[in-house]
Amino acid sequence: MKYAKVYAEDVDVGQELPVLVKGPIQQIQLTRYAGASGDFNPIHQDDEFAKAAGMGGVFGHGMLTMGFVAQCVTDWAGAGSVRKLGVRFQGLVRLKDVITCKGRVLAKSSKDGTHLVDVELSAENQKGEKVVTGRATVALSSRES
Amino acid sequence: MPIRINTDIKGKEYPPYSVTVERGRIKDFARAIGDLSPFYLDDRVGAASEFGDIIAPPTFAITFRDEHADTNTMLKDLGVDISRILHGEQEFGLHRPILAGETLLCRPKITDVYEKSGRSGPMAFVVRETSVTDAKNELVATMRGVTVVRL
Repeated sequence: MKYAKVYAEDVDVGQELPVLVKGPIQQIQLTRYAGASGDFNPIHQDDEFAKAAGMGGVFGHGMLTMGFVAQCVTDWAGAGSVRKLGVRFQGLVRLKDVITCKGRVLAKSSKDGTHLVDVELSAENQKGEKVVTGRATVALSSRES
Repeated sequence: MPIRINTDIKGKEYPPYSVTVERGRIKDFARAIGDLSPFYLDDRVGAASEFGDIIAPPTFAITFRDEHADTNTMLKDLGVDISRILHGEQEFGLHRPILAGETLLCRPKITDVYEKSGRSGPMAFVVRETSVTDAKNELVATMRGVTVVRL
């Protein structure tokens, strides 16, 4: 069940999130993301521009990959559960790349009826190179409340 | 020769600006990512949910910009061409999900500017933090982005 509800009691430290695979990345997706996000930097659209800038060609918006990583979290923990999400962009995503997002539970805590779960996150390309690393905190419900 | 940037913008606060979270924008944004969760896309699922309407994906606040300001004000202030920048880091703190239809106030500030030599030569790092508050003046979200400039 993709959108099944996860309760705090169901989560264990060390548990892995279901893997999310995105791509292959196509130019049209970068164009679509530019329109939706408002980031029209030509470096993500125009191969000549990206080459002239010394980047070797077009690459994906870091924020698009962060969106994939966020989806990996919310597919598991539920939409609206994310309280914190932070990433470092480690490598460029190129056209035709296939991006695999992974996560693992680092810690659990409860305070004043709020159940928080920390997860570590990564996204890597088909060569196993990390393109994003990060962490998230999600708030989950308890079966008792 | 590495270029020089204007590091004086450290501490600069930009004028607050308001944004209205458009329902169609949420849907376009989710679809562009390929995230087809009905909590972002389906008005009826949203209305029946604990949130009372469709909500925005966690990274949606990146779309917030001052419609009345020049584009890329920060780059102009830094004296940097768009071809030289990369996104280094990004963080969102979300006190609650962002809902379709609400009007929010964004307050951006440049909290740090520093230079460092990396594997690929000299770089500058520009840290921008933005707080996002709602109509009741309650904090909804915080954003922290690090822009890397290839000098």
